[in-house]
Amino acid sequence: MSVIEMKLEREVTADTIKIEARKVQVHYGQNHALKDVDVDILAKTVTAFIGPSGCGKSTFLRCLNRMNDTVASAKVTGSILLDGADIYDPRVDPVQLRAKVGMVFQKPNPFPKSIYDNVAYGPKIHGLTRSKAELDEVVESCLRKAALWNEVKDRLQSPGTGLSGGQQQRLCIARAIATSPEVLLMDEPCSALDPIATAQVEELIDELRSQFSVVIVTHSMQQAARVSQRTAFFHLGNLVEYGETGTIFTNPKDPRTESYITGRIG
Amino acid sequence: MNTERHIASAFDRDLEGVQALVVKMGGLVEAALSDAAMALEMRDEALAERVRAQDTAIDALEAQVNDECLRLIATRAPAATDLRVVLTVMKIAASLERCGDYAKNLAKRSLVLNKMHSVEGATGSIRRMARQVGLLLKDALDAFIHRDVELAASVRQQDRDVDQMYTALFREFLTHMMEDPRNISACMHLHFIAKNIERVGDHATTIAEQVIFLATGQLPSEPRPKADSVNMGEV
Repeated sequence: MSVIEMKLEREVTADTIKIEARKVQVHYGQNHALKDVDVDILAKTVTAFIGPSGCGKSTFLRCLNRMNDTVASAKVTGSILLDGADIYDPRVDPVQLRAKVGMVFQKPNPFPKSIYDNVAYGPKIHGLTRSKAELDEVVESCLRKAALWNEVKDRLQSPGTGLSGGQQQRLCIARAIATSPEVLLMDEPCSALDPIATAQVEELIDELRSQFSVVIVTHSMQQAARVSQRTAFFHLGNLVEYGETGTIFTNPKDPRTESYITGRIG
Repeated sequence: MNTERHIASAFDRDLEGVQALVVKMGGLVEAALSDAAMALEMRDEALAERVRAQDTAIDALEAQVNDECLRLIATRAPAATDLRVVLTVMKIAASLERCGDYAKNLAKRSLVLNKMHSVEGATGSIRRMARQVGLLLKDALDAFIHRDVELAASVRQQDRDVDQMYTALFREFLTHMMEDPRNISACMHLHFIAKNIERVGDHATTIAEQVIFLATGQLPSEPRPKADSVNMGEV
């Protein structure tokens, strides 16, 4: 492979900004959880948030689809623009927003419904399909994108909770992408999975990048290094460093980043 | 340079261990080079044989460095400075192994030269050059131990002096050969020796560049001064 090709491989396909966050601050009551975070999340890019527990990375992730609205004590200030539009504008319906900015959680949490209904739920409530045939198509294509179709196509009516952990997580990903989101937020999506299921989810993340912006919070630095093109390091509520993943892992600028990724501070 | 310890202290021990191996290797190579030059000048066959035998130890150390680095990469997934330490250590070990070979080759040629008439002044000049290069090697390794970018940069600069010594010797040997064809055999050997010592200087420069990469994350960009252009027509 030539030098030029290798460079292209690493390059981000689109340099358009999908989410622009400026001076984002979050307070949980007295606790100042996030301090003046400025970051541009690029379109069609996997962005990893890393940092020790309590550094604010999950808090920030939850700001991106207003999940913090559900926490009574949380106060979010600053601006977060999705395609240039403020997501904290009072006219924005958070439910509609979350259809555009989907989320996958640490523990697979399928609905106590059939595999089919788990995926069909979002398109149904948002009225995205007009017929049963169209819904069938959406379910199949999402399960295929989540690399789960071949394993479940003969038992779509079985309960989603009966699947293995890795399959459940891929089902949750299929569910999250069923509403055709533009951004997919993943909060430690692999921490409950074995290495094979983890590899499958990582492969999936890489494929999803051609259609979505993916933002992943992970405690595994190797995972961040493997799947992302951009990495942001959070520490004590500050965004310490944000840049190209290869640079962050080989030659970080900030000594706090260096200490964290080399295993010197927890 | 990050002076904090790893949370996993075994990681620190592994990294320190592999660096200690390289420093040990460096010591053996410095000794081999100066002993070989001494053996040449003093016509000391026993010393030359010892240098040849010692090279196995240098080779074994390089293999050990590579094994340890392989294990470190596989088990610790080093990043940032830690990753640069591992890569640098492997490259320095490879350079030192080459230098060890050059010293061994010098020792071998000294045994051949012992059976010939001495070329006036040549072995003394070679020993001075070997001493100079040995100092460069020592500085490069000291720069590695202390992550001393300035010292590493000065090694790069000083390699020019070695190149000039080589060019001077080249002309000297050429003159001897033209004066008396019976000198040709000895001078050919001496010339190879001088060239090999000059190569050791280049390896010292490589090591110094690796130290700069280790400390800063970037290889030095400006070209280093060169003075080894030998003009074949001009004696």
